[in-house]
Amino acid sequence: MSRALNSAAALALACALAGCSSVDFGFLSPGPTPESSPTPALAAFKILPPDPLIGKWGVASYRDAKDRARTEKMARAQCKNAYVIAKGPTDGAMMHVADDATPHELALKKGADGKTYLGFNAPPPDPQDREVVELTPKLMVMKYVDPDTNDRYGTLVYARC
Amino acid sequence: MRQHGTAIAGRRCKARLALGAAFLLALLGAAPVRATSPDAITMDVGDEPGRISTEEVRIEEGPYARQLVFFRSSDAPGTVVISTADRFLYVVLGGGRALRYGIGVGREGFQWSGLVKISRKAEWPDWTPPPEMIERQPYLPRFMAGGPGNPMGARAMYLGSTVYRIHGTNQPETIGQAVSSGCFRLANGDVIDLYARVDVGAKVIIRQAAQL
Repeated sequence: MSRALNSAAALALACALAGCSSVDFGFLSPGPTPESSPTPALAAFKILPPDPLIGKWGVASYRDAKDRARTEKMARAQCKNAYVIAKGPTDGAMMHVADDATPHELALKKGADGKTYLGFNAPPPDPQDREVVELTPKLMVMKYVDPDTNDRYGTLVYARC
Repeated sequence: MRQHGTAIAGRRCKARLALGAAFLLALLGAAPVRATSPDAITMDVGDEPGRISTEEVRIEEGPYARQLVFFRSSDAPGTVVISTADRFLYVVLGGGRALRYGIGVGREGFQWSGLVKISRKAEWPDWTPPPEMIERQPYLPRFMAGGPGNPMGARAMYLGSTVYRIHGTNQPETIGQAVSSGCFRLANGDVIDLYARVDVGAKVIIRQAAQL
């Protein structure tokens, strides 16, 4: 986390020097950002605990809403080849982003728009983020923020194994 | 955690280029695709989910364009003959003629021959990436419902009880190449045409050696 803190601190300092104060890294300040921002909370976000993500999941995807129900069923059937999400060293979730075989530590983020995102420690919605459309103990549904990526991979359904 | 951007920029760019090319082809209407000759080096291209290829994309130029040809055969009209070495699929029409399509075939070690029947047909078939692909690309869903970004393409015809199929593709530039794991792929526009001509139960003859 020290690396992230260093980066975040540097960015916060740069923003402060530049006169912007709408960045809220969550773990650096507990509450909403100061009232001085001309565009309040545009880039503010909070890091959420990754615990709801941790575990083994069957993963499937669909593009057309009519395929949602059977995709959920297929996701549940993929537990023999489950996608494992472990807790990362700095309290994130070890997962993959699109088109990258290397796992990264990702954060569950609450954006200023009220939506929940999954991605790197950057203000959501970042192009590499996924929007978490649904999150229950047994089911997660996510969409890539980037339209191209969303077109290519569709809506992801994770069923807990 | 760290910000991650440049490492995958190349891949994303490649995907965008592919997407852009597909859109460009779609804008051109007929969406022709030029396929390269079988003498070209065997491409090392895996299935890439998510690359978009519409129903309109078909091979329009060169030897792999769909065309009527003379074809000596004693098989009944509707029979499918696949010549792996030539990268051609023929639908026997009778009267010494056949409709010929350019296809992509199995890469070295994944080619096969035999006599089977079409056991099932499906529009916009689902796709389950093989385990070795999941190993290489662990971010892939283990199941993708059918659609334009699906490597199975617009149509599939299942070959007997084998794991092989004649199917479309979201990579029409691989027609004429040996790239698959044993399936036979056509551009989406061509596989849609073939799908309408071939019935469940039709005989499929797969030959490896070139026919003289």
